[in-house]
This record gives sequence, C-alpha cells and structure tokens, in this order.
Amino acid sequence: MIVQTVIDGIPTLLAPGPGPARGGITFRVGRADETLGRAGITHLIEHLALHRLGVTDYHYNGTTGATVTHFFSQGSPEAIGEYLTSVCAALRDLPWHRLDVEKEILRTESASRSQSPIESLLLWRYGARGYGVSSYPEWGLTEITEDDIRAWVARYFTRENAVLWFSGISAPANLRLDLPSGTRMPLPPLTSALPKTPAWFCGAPRVVAFHSHVPRSAAAQVFTSVLERELFRALRQEGGYSYTVATDYNPIDTELSAVLAVADANPDKQEAALGAFIDVLAKLRWGTIDQSDLDAIRTKAAESLRDPDSEANRLPMAAFNVLIGSPVLDSKQVLHEIEAVTAAEVQQVAEQAFTAGLLQTPNGRGADWAGFTAAPTTSETVVDGVRYPMRGDNDHALVIGPSGVSTIGPGGPATVHFAQTAALLIWPDGGRMLIGHDGMTCRVEPTLFPVDAGTLARLDTAVPPGTTVHLPARDPESIPQPPQSSGTSKPAAARSDGQPAGGPRFRGFIYVLSTVLGVLAGFCGMFSLAASLKLFTDPALDYDAGTKAAVLVLYWGGTAVLAVPSFLLARRLRRRRPQP
Amino acid sequence: MADDFTPDFRLRAAYPEVAAAEDAIRAGDWPAFRACYDAVPKWQGRQLIMGAANEVAGSETFLKSVIERDPEDLVATTMYANRLINIGWEIRTDKRAKYVSAEQFAAFHKYLREAEQILIWVCARDPSFVPAWTNRLATSRGLELGQAETRRRYDHVARHDPHNMSAQNSLLQELCPKWHGSLEAMHAFASERAAAAPPGAHNAVLIVDAHVEHWASLPNTESETYFDRPNVRQEIMAAAERSVLHPDFDRGMGWVYPMSMFALGFCLISEWTLAKRCFLELGPYADDWGWQYLKGGAEAAFIRCRAWAMERG
Repeated sequence: MIVQTVIDGIPTLLAPGPGPARGGITFRVGRADETLGRAGITHLIEHLALHRLGVTDYHYNGTTGATVTHFFSQGSPEAIGEYLTSVCAALRDLPWHRLDVEKEILRTESASRSQSPIESLLLWRYGARGYGVSSYPEWGLTEITEDDIRAWVARYFTRENAVLWFSGISAPANLRLDLPSGTRMPLPPLTSALPKTPAWFCGAPRVVAFHSHVPRSAAAQVFTSVLERELFRALRQEGGYSYTVATDYNPIDTELSAVLAVADANPDKQEAALGAFIDVLAKLRWGTIDQSDLDAIRTKAAESLRDPDSEANRLPMAAFNVLIGSPVLDSKQVLHEIEAVTAAEVQQVAEQAFTAGLLQTPNGRGADWAGFTAAPTTSETVVDGVRYPMRGDNDHALVIGPSGVSTIGPGGPATVHFAQTAALLIWPDGGRMLIGHDGMTCRVEPTLFPVDAGTLARLDTAVPPGTTVHLPARDPESIPQPPQSSGTSKPAAARSDGQPAGGPRFRGFIYVLSTVLGVLAGFCGMFSLAASLKLFTDPALDYDAGTKAAVLVLYWGGTAVLAVPSFLLARRLRRRRPQP
Repeated sequence: MADDFTPDFRLRAAYPEVAAAEDAIRAGDWPAFRACYDAVPKWQGRQLIMGAANEVAGSETFLKSVIERDPEDLVATTMYANRLINIGWEIRTDKRAKYVSAEQFAAFHKYLREAEQILIWVCARDPSFVPAWTNRLATSRGLELGQAETRRRYDHVARHDPHNMSAQNSLLQELCPKWHGSLEAMHAFASERAAAAPPGAHNAVLIVDAHVEHWASLPNTESETYFDRPNVRQEIMAAAERSVLHPDFDRGMGWVYPMSMFALGFCLISEWTLAKRCFLELGPYADDWGWQYLKGGAEAAFIRCRAWAMERG
C-alpha cells in the first residue's frame, strides 16, 4: 500500500518493501516541455544539479524523460537523504562555472549514444514540438544561457511541481529540502503531424514499429501484452522473420496512453515481417483473442504485483500519477482491474489502436495496401515571395517571402512558415535550416541559391524569438555544392533538404548499401583485430617493424575502405522527415 | 478429324460441380451455390468452385448482396475479393509492365488494395481459410509487396494444404524473372513441390510450367533450342512419370490442367506419342494456361499441336 504524506511542502509517497532502500524526487518537466530551439535544457539542468555529488560511494542517478525528470538513489536512508538534500540545494545554486563543460559532456553523450531505430517515430507523429522534440538532437545547448536556466528552474523545479518517494515507512530524517515555491505545471499539449490515421512512414531498415494512442485503461495494458505475445508468435516462432519483438505501454496523461510495438526484421524477410505485423494487428481487431494469452498475462501480472517489493517498485510511476492528478492505486486494485479485462475489451482497444496508429515500415516499403495513409512528406502550399533557382539545376528552387520559406523540387514542395518555425539552425558558413512545427525542413544554402546576406539576416529576425540556434562549423564536406554544369547527374546534397535524391526507395537502397558495407566492415574489422593481435603476440611471426606496419595498414585500411562509406551513408540517412 | 476439333477451355465443361455452381450464381441462388461448395471436400476443388463466379458477368453485385445478408460468410467475402482481383487484372491485362499505362496500373492497384483489405479481414477471422490466403498471393504479386511477403502467404496456405495447386501456380508466377524473381528460385520451387507431392498428384506439372516460363522469357535465338536441352527433356519426362503417366494419376477435380500442360510440354519436346496420349485423355477439355505463349493464341495453338500429335504420335 502506498501512503501519501507531505514533507517540506512536497507531496510524498511511502511504500515499504523488502528490497534495498530507494528514494527519489520527481519533477513534472521533461523534453516534451522544451522548444526545439532550447532543446536539452532539462537534461542540462539535471547534469548541473548532480555535478557537486561527484564521485561518491552511493548509487544515484537522474533521468530526463518526456514529461518527468527523476533524481533517485539507492543505499542507506541517510545517504538517500543527503543525496536529495544536495540535489535540491544544487537546484537553488547551480554550479555556473560548469555550464560549458556540461554542455560539452551532453554533446559527447548524444554523439556516443547509438541511434534508436525508432527515434524518428515521435517526430512523424507529433512534429517538431511537444512530445516530438525527443526525436531531435539537443540542438538548444549552444544557445541556452544562465538566464534561460534560471527561468526554467523557477518554472519547473519547484515544491509544487515535485513529488518525493521513498521505499520504507518514513522519509530519511536528515532530509532538508529547500525548493522555491511555484505552481504545478500542466502537461504539454499533444500536437499532431498526422492529418490522417492510421498512417505509415518509411523508417530505418530492418525494423517494423507501431505507435498509437489508446484510452488509458487496464484493457489497454492487457492489449499491449497480448500484442507482444502475438507478434512473438507470428514474427519469430512461426515465420522466423524477426528475432526480437518488444512492446511498451506508457501513460501520457490521466486519459490517454501510448502503445509502442517494435520488431526487428531479418534482412531477407523485411517484407514478410511487415506483412505478418499487419496481420497481427488485424487478428487482434477481428480474430480470436487467445484465452490462454489472457490467462498467462494475468498470471504474470499477479506474480509481479504480489511481489512484496511491488509497491516500492511502482513508486516512480505513482509519482508521475500524483504530478498529473491521476489517482494512485495500490497493487491489489491494479491486479483486480487487470484480472477483470475481457477479450472483447482487448479487441475494442485493438480497434482504437489501429485507428489512431502510426506504422513505421522497413526497406522503402509502404502500407497503403493495408489501409494506412502515407504520412505527409511534402507541404500543401508554397509561400509567395522571391524565387531563387538553384545554381546549375532548374528543377530546384528556393522561395523566400514575407511569411516563410519554401523549397521546390520534382518531388513536391516543403514549406516552413516563420510563425510556425520550431527552430532555425544557422551555421557559420551562412547555411540555414528551418524546421517547421510539422517537422518539415527547408534549407537555405547560399552555396546553392543566390541569396544575399541581407536576406539571410532578415530570416533570422523573421522567426519567433528563441528559435534560432547557432551551430558549430560544419565539416566542409557536408556543405552542399551546386551540381557541375557539365554533368547531368545531380549530387544528392543538392536536394533542398539535404536528403538523398529519389525518395523513399532511394533511401531504402542507401540503407541496404550502408548496412552491407557496415557488416562487411565489421567482419573485416574483427579479422584485422585478430590478425593484429597475432602479429604482435605470435612468436612464429617474426616480422620487422616495417613489415608489421605494412600489414596493419593493409588490414585496417581495408576495414576503413568499407567502414567510412558505410558511416557516411548512414549519416546521410540519419534523421528527419525525408522530403521529395 | 483434327480440323473440326475445338477445345473447351471452360472449367464447367470438365467439372459438373463447377457447372452447377456457376448456374447457381447465375440464378442468384446462394444456398444452391453453398451446397455445391460444401459437397467438395478438398480446398483445391473448392477453389475451382469459387472461381465459377468469374464466369458470370456482374457476379460481384450478387456476392455483395450475399455479404450484406451475412457479413460473416467468408466464402462469399473471399469470392467477392477474388472478383475484384480479376476485374483489376482485366484492366491491367497480361501484358508486360512496360505496355501497361499509368492509368491502368492505378485502377489495377485500386482494385487489388480493396481486395487485399477484405482478405486481411477474412484471414484474421479464420487464419486457416486457405482460399483467402491463396487469393492474397495474387494481391501480393500485383501490389508488389515483395517476394518474402508472398512466400509468407504461401506458407500460410501450405500449413493447411501442402499441395495446393493454385497457390503453387501463383507462387511460381511470383518467382518468375518477370515478377522480380529468378530462374533458379522458380525451378527450385517447382522441383521441391513436385517431389513433395504424392505419386500421381498434379503438382509435378509445376516443372513443365517452370520450363514454359523459362522458355517464354528467353530471346528468340535461345528459345528455339530450349526444349532440345537434354536436362529439360529429362525433367519433363520424369515429372510426367510422377503425375499424368503415373498409374495412380488423380482424376479428381483439377486434373485437366496438368494433362493439358503436359500435352503442351510433350509437344514442345517433340514426344508426339505421349502428347497424343494426353490429348486423347483430355478429350474435348483443355486448360488455356501455357498455350497462350504460343503463336496465334491458346486456342489456335492447341488445335495446331493436337493435329500434329494425332498425325505424328
């Protein structure tokens, strides 16, 4: 049973459990509250708040989610109390001298993080605002000032916007929380970049994914589990099209939850994985829900909820519920609700999930054939204004007008209105990229279009305040150049949006090429590693230093020949809404 | 004798069950149709019965009225989807893709998408309903959903009916080079399914089908000598031994197609005696599949080859 109390003006949840003592503070703020032009500010504050704790003996951490930021620790109650006291003190008095270093650390963290194959899903659903911001890099870091941070802390890191939680019958005695007063912040609005659902977009290779909104309920939770079991059965056990399937049920607010399902796909079987995935969604809507699946899900839920530590494990979720004004249920109630779910209710959720769904397809494939509508990849309108034809390519043009910017190409236009700009990225070389609320992008590249400095400068003042982002210098290779007048082929970089030419199918080809090269590079790398080790450790190979160097250059050079193009191709494809 | 011979390519001619089914559809009598359907035990025969709707112009309107009365009738629903596929394919025509206009493709895909979404529903309602999966092989091919996806659909058919001739014919088409397949994959599939079928079954005809497709895909200079290749002759002969020439050859529903196809195969390898035997077994019945690749179209080619076989065999 979870007990609710108040400590230092902060709502507090207590739940005893046999596991190690745990405690934390959760704030109602996350990436979905940020704007794209200041994306990363919450994560930066989390890092700054933890800096003084340095290297300590106890286990602690912080996480920045879409709508909540947790600071938590495990250890003795005194250590937990000390940790949380320190975090709250740090939020009052952040180590400003660390600002630039922490920004750099965050950039390194994001560069080293492997890209999720479903990273762009949220962008396609929500656009470049609210819940969609998580799809983008933390572009705001360079622009965020001390004042921005102070204002963000004052708004979100307050007593009224926090919940404390502890596993145990009481809070640590040494807790001294001195947070400023504020107000409970409402959740960010749920934006949409999809004019019509169910929708599809073509995503990363070898992955099929599905995202939807369903009414928040025990039936929706059970549906998510049934979906996972059916996907595992159809995609892995029966067909061998996939190795891994996973689902996630994630409450958004008091009324709504997000359901996510992801399956990887055997490279030769990507179309079958997509087909089987679509058939599973149909089976849950129209077929028979297996009673044995329902029974297994109930048994599993009962096991997990009867675990004496279950209430304590549910504390972070309970903290989220308190912050959004949702009731905190105890394990018994949760289990009771899950056990009461019927097959008909699961089927009803399946219908709702399909209707609101967004499907991510692999390998350049579409899903119109199964009743899904293509998510928009072009804009419906073009702004009125001055037209700049692309140097050496009459098929492409840029239009800059008083209300916004459009790029025009054979595949259709992309338009970003100034009033609906989520971010304007600016590189020192003069290149600019506008990203609209709907996720559309327009590149204004002086190398490609004869735009004068005065017009460029006017762009920067036309967009809403807080949306411009000055990025560090680009690799000269990535600055697009106009096509050679003698040649007929157009370089991919000449596309208005920096995307490879030829639409999704061409992207699919690049994915395949990049993957094949990557896999070969992997094998080549392993071989080179083994050979290099042998070269230095095997006494039988008594080569002089010059021969050794030559052999190493040969092996690793070969690896690089494969790895570099693979990496460059993959980087081309990294992101964002593909445009024509 | 040969000059006044005309083959009857209609299924109703060879199979009275199909004739009765077709008459029932023409009369708008669904219970009578269902009685014909229910009387046939095997999926292969049932699929032939369901195909009778394609012989009745406008049968889709009748099928739609049946579905309106009983939305859960999977047989009527699948037949309706099959009609949409056929209407779509008639618009597309059997020509090579480069001779099909953009408008034709758009209409073709529209009909196939509608059929596919109906069939997704049928397969969700009853994943063991073989005719729906068989039709989904055609939608997958027409909508170009990919070889792996078509194969998955075939595997669903095979799980419940491992020797389903229609589904195997459909997958063989998918595996043809003209549908982005390969000669190797096509021949491999034909051999594998021929070997897996019991002796006397129809399925070894896939070997002839694959060779005819291979031959039809070649430029004239190569196609002229294709059937002189020893391995081609050998494979067709061995396949015949397993099916039409086998003492246990299955004379049940569907028998005309392998007999007609082997008649063609024997003509192509100049085995006139065996060809004559097949023509005599066929009597007036025939299947136009395969013959359409020959000069003059299926009927003229069939009459011409039959006359030669009667003379030389």
